[in-house]
Amino acid sequence: MVATSHDVMPDIELYQPTDEANALELANTLGSDGWLLGGGQDTYGWLKDRNKSPAAMIELTQVDAWKGVKEIADGVEIGAVTTLTEITNNPLIQSKFGLLATAAGRVASPQIRNVGTLGGNVAQDARCWYYRRGLDCYRAGGNICYADSPEGLNREHAIFGASRCVAVSPSDTAPALVALDATMVVSSTSGQRLIPAQDFFVGPARDIVNMTVLNDGEILTAVRLPNTWANAEFYFEKVADRNVWDFALVNIAAAIKVSGGTIEDARIVCGAVECTPRRLDAVENAIRGQQRSEQLAEQVAAIATDGARPLNYNHFKLPLMQNLVKRAIRG
Amino acid sequence: MGEIVRYKRDVWGEEVILGVSWDLLWVVAVAVLILLAAHAIIMAALANKKMDKPSAEGRRVLRHEVVDRLFHWIMAASVLVLMATGVAPILGLRIAWLNIHWIAGLLLTFVVIAHIVRSLFWQDFKSMILGPGDFAEPFDSAKKPGKYSFEQKGMHWAVTVVVLAVIATGLLLFLQIDSPFWDRTNSMPEDQLGLMFLLHGLSTLALIALVATHIYFAIRPEKLFYTRSMVSGWISEDEMTANHDTSRWSPKEAD
Amino acid sequence: MAYMHIGKDFVPPDVVGKVTGRIKYSEDYSRDGMVYARLLTSPVPHGRVINIDASEALAMEGVFGILTADDVYPDGEPQSPGLKVLTNEPTLIGEPILAIAAIDEKTAETAMTKISLTIERLPFVLDPLDSLVEGGPDAYNGGNTYIFREGFAQEKWTTDQVASFRSGNEPTAEAQQGWAYGDLEAGFAASDFIHETTFSTAGYPHMSMEPRSAMAYWENGKCYLHGTSQSLSAIAEPMAAIVGVPLEDFVFINEATGGGFGQRARAGSIPSMAIPAKLSQKINRPVMMRVTREEEFTIGGARQGLQGWIKVGFKSDGTMAAMDMYCISDNGGKGGGGDANSAAGGVSALYQTEAMRFRNSSIGTNTAHRGAQRGPGENQIMAIMAPIMDKAAEALGLDRLEIRKLNAAQNGDVSGSRSTPFTSAYMPEALEQGAAQFDWEGKKSRARQTNGSKVRGFGIGQGYHNAGRSGMDGIVRLMPSGRLAVHNGIGNLGTYSYASTSRAAAEVLKMRWEDCDVITGRTDRHLPITSPQDGSNSIFTNTRTCFGAAQDLLVKMKEIAAMDLGGDAADYEIDGSRIYQQADSSVGMTYAEVAQRGIELGGKFSGEDELPEDLNRLTQLSVSRLAGSALMGVYHDPRHNNNPPGFTVTFTEIELDKETGKIEILDLVSIAECGTVVHPQGLANQLRGGAVWGIGLSVLERHLYDPQNGLPASTGYWQSKIPTYLDTPANIGTGWVDLPDPENPVGARGIGEPAMGAVSAALNAAITDALGGHLFDTAPVTTDMIINHIAGVSEDAVPLAQNNFRG
Repeated sequence: MVATSHDVMPDIELYQPTDEANALELANTLGSDGWLLGGGQDTYGWLKDRNKSPAAMIELTQVDAWKGVKEIADGVEIGAVTTLTEITNNPLIQSKFGLLATAAGRVASPQIRNVGTLGGNVAQDARCWYYRRGLDCYRAGGNICYADSPEGLNREHAIFGASRCVAVSPSDTAPALVALDATMVVSSTSGQRLIPAQDFFVGPARDIVNMTVLNDGEILTAVRLPNTWANAEFYFEKVADRNVWDFALVNIAAAIKVSGGTIEDARIVCGAVECTPRRLDAVENAIRGQQRSEQLAEQVAAIATDGARPLNYNHFKLPLMQNLVKRAIRG
Repeated sequence: MGEIVRYKRDVWGEEVILGVSWDLLWVVAVAVLILLAAHAIIMAALANKKMDKPSAEGRRVLRHEVVDRLFHWIMAASVLVLMATGVAPILGLRIAWLNIHWIAGLLLTFVVIAHIVRSLFWQDFKSMILGPGDFAEPFDSAKKPGKYSFEQKGMHWAVTVVVLAVIATGLLLFLQIDSPFWDRTNSMPEDQLGLMFLLHGLSTLALIALVATHIYFAIRPEKLFYTRSMVSGWISEDEMTANHDTSRWSPKEAD
Repeated sequence: MAYMHIGKDFVPPDVVGKVTGRIKYSEDYSRDGMVYARLLTSPVPHGRVINIDASEALAMEGVFGILTADDVYPDGEPQSPGLKVLTNEPTLIGEPILAIAAIDEKTAETAMTKISLTIERLPFVLDPLDSLVEGGPDAYNGGNTYIFREGFAQEKWTTDQVASFRSGNEPTAEAQQGWAYGDLEAGFAASDFIHETTFSTAGYPHMSMEPRSAMAYWENGKCYLHGTSQSLSAIAEPMAAIVGVPLEDFVFINEATGGGFGQRARAGSIPSMAIPAKLSQKINRPVMMRVTREEEFTIGGARQGLQGWIKVGFKSDGTMAAMDMYCISDNGGKGGGGDANSAAGGVSALYQTEAMRFRNSSIGTNTAHRGAQRGPGENQIMAIMAPIMDKAAEALGLDRLEIRKLNAAQNGDVSGSRSTPFTSAYMPEALEQGAAQFDWEGKKSRARQTNGSKVRGFGIGQGYHNAGRSGMDGIVRLMPSGRLAVHNGIGNLGTYSYASTSRAAAEVLKMRWEDCDVITGRTDRHLPITSPQDGSNSIFTNTRTCFGAAQDLLVKMKEIAAMDLGGDAADYEIDGSRIYQQADSSVGMTYAEVAQRGIELGGKFSGEDELPEDLNRLTQLSVSRLAGSALMGVYHDPRHNNNPPGFTVTFTEIELDKETGKIEILDLVSIAECGTVVHPQGLANQLRGGAVWGIGLSVLERHLYDPQNGLPASTGYWQSKIPTYLDTPANIGTGWVDLPDPENPVGARGIGEPAMGAVSAALNAAITDALGGHLFDTAPVTTDMIINHIAGVSEDAVPLAQNNFRG
């Protein structure tokens, strides 16, 4: 039968490791059979709809080593299972990396932020409704995209970087992390990989079934924010249909270093326009060394959408993205 | 293992073909490897009884014109690129393969069309025709072929069929993705789409087997002069008379 | 008039249960030996079941049986629109085909995967216009529309006719239904401003929090059904008929309902409740059928979408002289409602248009079951009309409030196809009160002021629905304990009107509310017939019956007092606990004593004879079962005259961000004109709840189907974009005119539905205002549409879209 909302979870073996080594060992042993469970806000829908039926789940939220915010030599490290609420309210994050605090506070709803984790938010799966319905599309290992067609309902889908699949990065924190030049700490029994946030996400051209470069057996355990961008001028905005409990139509995270009115450096990233957070290099290049002004914002906004390829129902994302770029530069 | 076809649920939940089971890739790889290894061993065992290798020295005759050699190598390159890019994601390699794949596919298509046209009107098409008489050739050492041996013709026609199948299904699949020339639609019913993927996959597997065999024979010592001729165009008169019936093939002298 | 209860706040008896979570909804009940049913629903938008092979599933341990359409309809399914209990001819994805019962839900779910369903796919359609076009697919077997008393039929236009309509012109095909009054041509001829446009409004589901789960069991030949409904007693008889059991052997239990909004008013819109009843009968075990959120979306019903054309003319003084309206109504997969007709009636009522013509054709699509949803028709059309009123005002140089006031309904006015007079109407007063409370005069000059990328917009909206019925029954009992039992069959939808209308009886008998018990929640508590709790009628209808039954009781009390204590019945007065002689208050008896005497006297006093004529069968049954238990007041309400309207007015101020397309509601005030206010807190909540939903209709909610394959895309709350806390203003001002209506004993009329329509109208008008007068002619107006309009992007637009984005 077609996948519908069965609302009954299948039987799943649940592992609840409390220490790091045990969790990594489980991830290693279970491999692709071991579903990583954070706050469950991505997971439970899949399971209740019976659209994904992993044999086992590894609950990561009981590993204390992966929780909390701490200062490290060159910045701040945030445990991957730290809740979004905690990140929003954390004084250290607020004072140095307000961009992330704001972004985390704009995710979904208070209830979801109370259980949802940073790791879960960045590693969550695509929200394309066709895919979430359990259809066997490209992303589900099939041979078709239902969204990218003249009639497909693709208002929320990609305007950049599509390759068969047109799903977008749904995360609000991911653009902030890329803008802050974060490093993702990925652990496994064979050690640690440190991956720049920008390279953590992967588009359909390279991998059509995964949204991140995480391999089986690997766990995102922490995110490090370097001091390089601490206390820069930040701008975050999320435009969604609803102000609570919604995914962005387009969001933007910008970190801009300004000195005497001149933009010394900038990292500007948009979400929900591509399968990965989209770094706006061309815009960054265009504003570097320029006076931060309304005029500059007007001048460069259009560059942001160069090369965009809108689908049938998402042309609006172009002006919206341009406007958000304007607002970010305008500050 | 064991399944040839993979299935999926279509949008309304009905089971339709998804494509070939890529487990077969390993089956094909292993089978070809075993067969070729067996051949190599047998050939090695028989090697002593063989005649001396004909000399590459002396007068040279033209076997492949430059344009045909060019065609061959473009085809070879595009087929290899197609196979590599097609198989990479199956093997789990994260590369942006699709654009390379269809560009190589288009190149292959154009070259194949050009080759067909050329072979029909400008080349000696008859030399490649596989007639009933050709089947006696392997069993009668006295019987020598014209320009192409039975094995060569067999290989050529097998590759022809399989490449045309890959191209035909590939082009239909190409129509199913976005390209600079059109935006995709979902006009092909999912069961037909699955069938196309299955045929594309099956012909790919066959092509892999054929290409492996082709390369194997191309680098076999006794056949190497053919490979040389595909690079330089000529074979020696000695090689010609040793392997071909000159009454049936009288090539020009090579430049 | 000074009332003891009417117009006063009180704590309805179920509030504590609702706040603490202890109140039971159908899903919260269980029964020894109860098993669980799951539904196998249609995977295709239109099909025919060829074969069901459940042998493997039935052979599983813990599986008790299945129920199919063949069990429910042994003589074949009725060939008519409307939801079936189960079907072999699904016309929408998610329509229940069979139910399977097992020891637990997981077993049932697993068993379901072992059922082999062979289904023939038939052509489907999602947009009425795609079906109307010649050669277009038909949603039903036998056509794309249903003609009353004739059956399914095909309605087709030429390709050119459809194309012409799509490109903004008046439809030229003959409509299925219509009405008219006045001289339309003369009206347009006399008009100084004429606006003509096509428009579309979206249909969308009801979003009830509680899904339509049901549990049933049989005992001693009686069927006990725990269900969900917005009409407790009204649903009993038709539901018993669907289950196939005599009314006297059917007990419907429904203490509380988590939202209804029109879709649970009548048995025909929730026939799925019969599934556990039938299945329980078949396998002889109690059966719980939990309905999932997604199922709730597919069979829970949806508002009709409208695609239409309107032409409206205004005289130079602002009077609406003529209105011509042509609608195509989206009837969904199971036949639909009468939204278009109500929309036209609503325009007539609110704007008092001098001449009017209404035409409509209803066309099926393979989408959700359609039916009444809060202000069906009126609430959609008001969102279209309000910006047009503003455009007319601007063109004619009138104030936006003034043009509304001069077209507003007042006492003595009539409306609709039959020019029915209102029972009373005070729309100008409502507009004035709203303007004052909102400070329209002080604020209106801020319209279109900009602040950075933001621009202000103001809107005035008006809402209307016919809001009262009659002809129902009332039962009250004065118990030997001296307490009053008010039997109320409205249903507990969450509006508390079951309790607030019962207070009319307490009012008559001057009793303290603490001394009254509202008897409701299950039909074996013996309830009188009540009108289904839809159409904003409950307050009007049931204050009449409760009041009437209490009056009957009072007459009987006085008769007993006179009989026992001497004198005339007319000599007696009551004080809420005693009945006594006016001349000498020491001569009297307590309510408890009167009740006891009533039982002793029997006959008419205790409900044993001399009952009112024309009592409904359910009421008769209830009275017969209660007879002898107390002193009883029984009442059959005669028909009232004219049309009791519910009117609302909303004023809103918004800020629209031209860069993001987002709007923020800065202020919103809703005023009710619903006669005497019965329950201020309840009314304020109706206005606030209606406002939230009006915001949804106006800017957010959507009901999408994938055009490629008919899959429903809005199958949960987040996909459907119902407003959230931060999409609604922090404060929603409320107020009411509070002038009594002569056709109701306490002067009250209903209000539920218009509370939403005025808000959707005001908000759409405010958006148009902020955008310098741009009319979208559609509802909702979503973020993307605003962005596209400002950026001049037209590629996303789908003119007259139905069940799709509008862009």
